[in-house]
Amino acid sequence: MNEYLSSAFSTAMLGEYGNGLLVTLYFVILCTLVSYLIGIPAGVILCVSDKDGIHPNAPLNKTLGLVVNILRSIPFVILLVLVLPLTKALIGTKVGDNAFLVPLIISAAPFVARMVESSLKEVSHGVIEAAQSMGSTNWQIITKVMIPEAKPSLLVGAAISITTILGYTPLATLVGGGGLGAIAVQYGLYRFQNDIMYVSSILMVILVQIMQEVGMKLARSSDKRAR
Amino acid sequence: MKKFVSVLLASSLLLLSLAGCKNSSSESKTITVGASATPHAEILKAVKPILAKEGYTLNIKIYDDYVLPNTATEDGELDANYFQHKPYLDSFNEKNNTHLVSVAAIHYEPYGIYAGTSSSLTNVPDGAKIAVPNDPSNEARALQLLAAQKLITIKDGAGLSATKKDISANPHHYDVVEMDAAVIPKSLDSVALAVINGNYAIGAGLKVSQALATEDKNSEAAKTYANIIAVKQGNENKPAIKALVKALQSQEVKDYITKTYDGAVVAVF
Repeated sequence: MNEYLSSAFSTAMLGEYGNGLLVTLYFVILCTLVSYLIGIPAGVILCVSDKDGIHPNAPLNKTLGLVVNILRSIPFVILLVLVLPLTKALIGTKVGDNAFLVPLIISAAPFVARMVESSLKEVSHGVIEAAQSMGSTNWQIITKVMIPEAKPSLLVGAAISITTILGYTPLATLVGGGGLGAIAVQYGLYRFQNDIMYVSSILMVILVQIMQEVGMKLARSSDKRAR
Repeated sequence: MKKFVSVLLASSLLLLSLAGCKNSSSESKTITVGASATPHAEILKAVKPILAKEGYTLNIKIYDDYVLPNTATEDGELDANYFQHKPYLDSFNEKNNTHLVSVAAIHYEPYGIYAGTSSSLTNVPDGAKIAVPNDPSNEARALQLLAAQKLITIKDGAGLSATKKDISANPHHYDVVEMDAAVIPKSLDSVALAVINGNYAIGAGLKVSQALATEDKNSEAAKTYANIIAVKQGNENKPAIKALVKALQSQEVKDYITKTYDGAVVAVF
């Protein structure tokens, strides 16, 4: 048992876990931020332009919906390879941590859009109608009614999105990226060093637990329903 | 009721014995072999007619990974597999407690250093990226080839399990990027040099003749890394297996390999 643990916790490995943790955090935080930057507007458009939305627009809704669906249906590994030329165009290389971010974001943004759309659709129609009867513009309804009302649901959605994004980070190893997931795959899966695989996986689980807890706490404190 | 029970018993016994017959592969004239797509499955396809003449039906099952074909052979799902070299097999047996043995060495695929953004081995800028496969034996072999070309130095004794951490000298500070072997050929515009193994080079349409350097035919690497036919211990002398080996180690296959692979695959029999 001691020998087992000592290789997984050798000074060399501790440094690698530390590095891996930083890279994983970098992936998750940056990807979440950018996919929400894209996903919130996309989700709002999908909700608002829906036939039951406050500003129905069937062609826009169908087109955006189609794009989102297509991007969500392509398996991530294939997507990664397909967008390699775009990756090169955007950041100048197909290899490394940043190169992995490109497909990661392209894959996460549509997922986030659907989560946002779903959260916004949960907002009670009564509240929206009340706002409309007070003469609010659509923009005011979106920013002052829908998004604030949907906040708890949006935060739950964020917790789900973050853990999903984290789940994809091991694939960074495909393009020479790092992170705890890549360590688990390279040492654990490929080199049968199960001890390292378990340790890096446990570190990822701890990371997820922390993020889930934070997300849920934020959601609960902003939820007017549960008191 | 009694008659019904005895008929039921008799028919189930019959079915069971028939099922037993079907599973006994020692009488079977069907050989199921698990293989990588290129060139292994292609070479197997070339021996299908040879085996058919002997009355054997060859079933080729294609695998993309390097774990499942071994576990399937150990489980009896496959009669043999053809995708790995002996060092990998030995390491797999050790780590996974499997009992697979090599029955024949068929070919080897010279590793090559291919041009990325650098067109020769001498004009690579300091700090440039060199891509190597990230899985164990491929990475080790790639690093050894880089060392043989004097681009880096590997620690003595690191041998077949060398990783990036075993680089003992890297005077030009090359950034050795460990990545998926299949993605390397697609990323040639993002690295100065790329070390690619035979399968993937062929698959990506590269020619071994284009490589800036390859493993020497008489090198330790060539001998050690010959791709083998592996079977579960105990099945080595089965007539079907012996027929498979004989068909593969034939002049027909040698000619097929020379004609089809233009130096990317080299027969070792």
